[in-house]
Amino acid sequence: MRQPLLHVSDVSKRFGDVVALEQVSLDIYEGDIIGLVGSNGAGKTTLLRLLAGVYRPSSGRVHLADDADVEQARARLGVVPENTGLYARLTAWENIRYHARIHGVPDDLAWKRTRYFAHHLQMEDALSRHTKGFSRGMRQKTALLRALVHAPEVLLLDEPTAGLDVTSARTVRELVRQLGEEGGTVIYSTHQLAEAQRVCNRIVIIHNGDVRADGTPEELLEQTNSTNLEDAYVALTRDAARQRHEDSKPLSKWARWWRSLFTSTTPQEVMEDE
Amino acid sequence: MSRGRGRVRTIAKKELIEFVRDWRTIVAILVIPLLMFPLLFILFPLLLASEAAELEALQVDVVVQTNGLPEELGMVLNASDLNITYEPLPVLERLSSPSGDEARLRNGSIDVLVRTQMNGTIVEYALLYISTSEQSLEARSRMFDVLSQWEDNETVARITDAGLDPNETLDPLRWDGDVAESDVATQGEQAGMALSLFIPLVLAVWTFSSAIQPSIDMTAGERERGTLEALLALPCSRMELLFGKWLAVATITGVGVLLQIAGLLFAIGYLATSDVISAPSVSWQALFFLCIAVLLFSIMVVAIELALAMRSHSVKEAGSILGPALLLILFPALFTQVINLDGIEAFWFAIPVVNVLLALRELLMNRIVYSHILIWMVTSTVYAFGAAFYAARQFKREDIVTSLS
Repeated sequence: MRQPLLHVSDVSKRFGDVVALEQVSLDIYEGDIIGLVGSNGAGKTTLLRLLAGVYRPSSGRVHLADDADVEQARARLGVVPENTGLYARLTAWENIRYHARIHGVPDDLAWKRTRYFAHHLQMEDALSRHTKGFSRGMRQKTALLRALVHAPEVLLLDEPTAGLDVTSARTVRELVRQLGEEGGTVIYSTHQLAEAQRVCNRIVIIHNGDVRADGTPEELLEQTNSTNLEDAYVALTRDAARQRHEDSKPLSKWARWWRSLFTSTTPQEVMEDE
Repeated sequence: MSRGRGRVRTIAKKELIEFVRDWRTIVAILVIPLLMFPLLFILFPLLLASEAAELEALQVDVVVQTNGLPEELGMVLNASDLNITYEPLPVLERLSSPSGDEARLRNGSIDVLVRTQMNGTIVEYALLYISTSEQSLEARSRMFDVLSQWEDNETVARITDAGLDPNETLDPLRWDGDVAESDVATQGEQAGMALSLFIPLVLAVWTFSSAIQPSIDMTAGERERGTLEALLALPCSRMELLFGKWLAVATITGVGVLLQIAGLLFAIGYLATSDVISAPSVSWQALFFLCIAVLLFSIMVVAIELALAMRSHSVKEAGSILGPALLLILFPALFTQVINLDGIEAFWFAIPVVNVLLALRELLMNRIVYSHILIWMVTSTVYAFGAAFYAARQFKREDIVTSLS
């Protein structure tokens, strides 16, 4: 029987009055390529941040197989956030080396690993270039190299193909698939079902902070009596999707009043007033 | 080296590398402070001297309206370097009334108009000029010199005619000896006194202002650019992150302040060769405490700035908070300039910002008062730790991961 690598036990996350995730439980096994699928604001990024130890759960626990809290075990995770988070005034290699050093990976070993993956991503020549002029695809590839440099047990990717051209998206997907074939564990958030189906061996559908379904694509089809995943997704997420919440800080009464002084009304509002 | 210290060093090093790669920031924070005082103390006086020489070379046109001048005054006027034209004195209620001559002064056809009339043995006069014209002001100054010269001569002549000794009459109280000799303070002490009114202000304001830009860039900037999330997912604690960034900002600020002091000392050294000011005489002990005071102050200032910038959601928001916050340093800094250090009450050395500024003033004057040192050292340490604690709380906030990008 396979042992879970990462446990998410009854995890809830609240931002003030807003519940972003409600009692989510997941067991993540070695070799899992999990597609975390949901609409904008579903709670995918919140869950990934909880898995990465960036957020602390409001209740419940995220821990590894040896019972270490994820916050104390960040060295065993590789993270690619949605906006890559590269430093523009550093070269691609310097960006990677910075993270490697914080992980305690010696420079020569970091370089060896970087060269290996850079070869697969066809970006060896770009390693010495400053990332300022990089395309979205190059930034994403660099962030992937950076997340892989310390050989993490689990790789967390937040919408890694969003905004990429066809070729770059394909390269990223191929790398993820290859990692899975080599026994790696990847959690991959996306709002595109087709992509999740192509890359992942397990799909978790998350909607309005709940896990609505968790299983292989075949299991999801069976669970919903659907013939394709799109129908299955629609069947599982019939209630309206909520707005994104954690980034929008509510304004104070005074701030709202001040802003209203300099806010023009829409033609619709003018008509309603009349 | 422990892993934690290694990570702090890695973070600080990366911040410094990023900083030095932006030449505009280098110019703003490192080159300008180095050149500011030499430019202010050396080039500015040279510029003033050159302007003065230019004024001296000017030819000024003066019209003298008179109904009769004493012969000696006429001779003095004619011997001067003024271009003088004489005109008859018009009928006026008062000599100082501009009357119809205002236009000539305004259009620059004349620089000064002097009116004189005899009233018994007294020469009554008025001098009309336009204060917004440098040329007119120069002409007025030269005209006064000429008139004063005649007045001095005339006074001596009249006293002599009355059978008195002009020296005894005009100068009944006289200084005997060298004026400079009478001040028992050494030149070094005098320089310390003069600089104690200046250096603390500069140190305080520059420490605060030079830390603003790197503090914002390394916190709100990271947040805005979306680089913070990847950093927070790394196996380093938020305290390590804070220390790394603090170390980088403190290094940049420290180098900026040191360069500014180097520029200041260079300018003082230059002025010392022309006897304008001497090098201040500060003991090694005072210098040691001075460094401690600056260190504690910069720990506090940098921690507060990092905390305030980290609270902000964007670079713009951080700038609009930290910019006006400079006043929190500037006002106490200006205030401490007027506090009399003789017999000062001890409580002043416990007030934040004021305590360090007063300490710097005392130490630059080579006054080592241990009770004062104890108070400012203890209170400054408490404030520095308080600021660091506040900064740590901001760095531990969960919402710092959210970015605008």
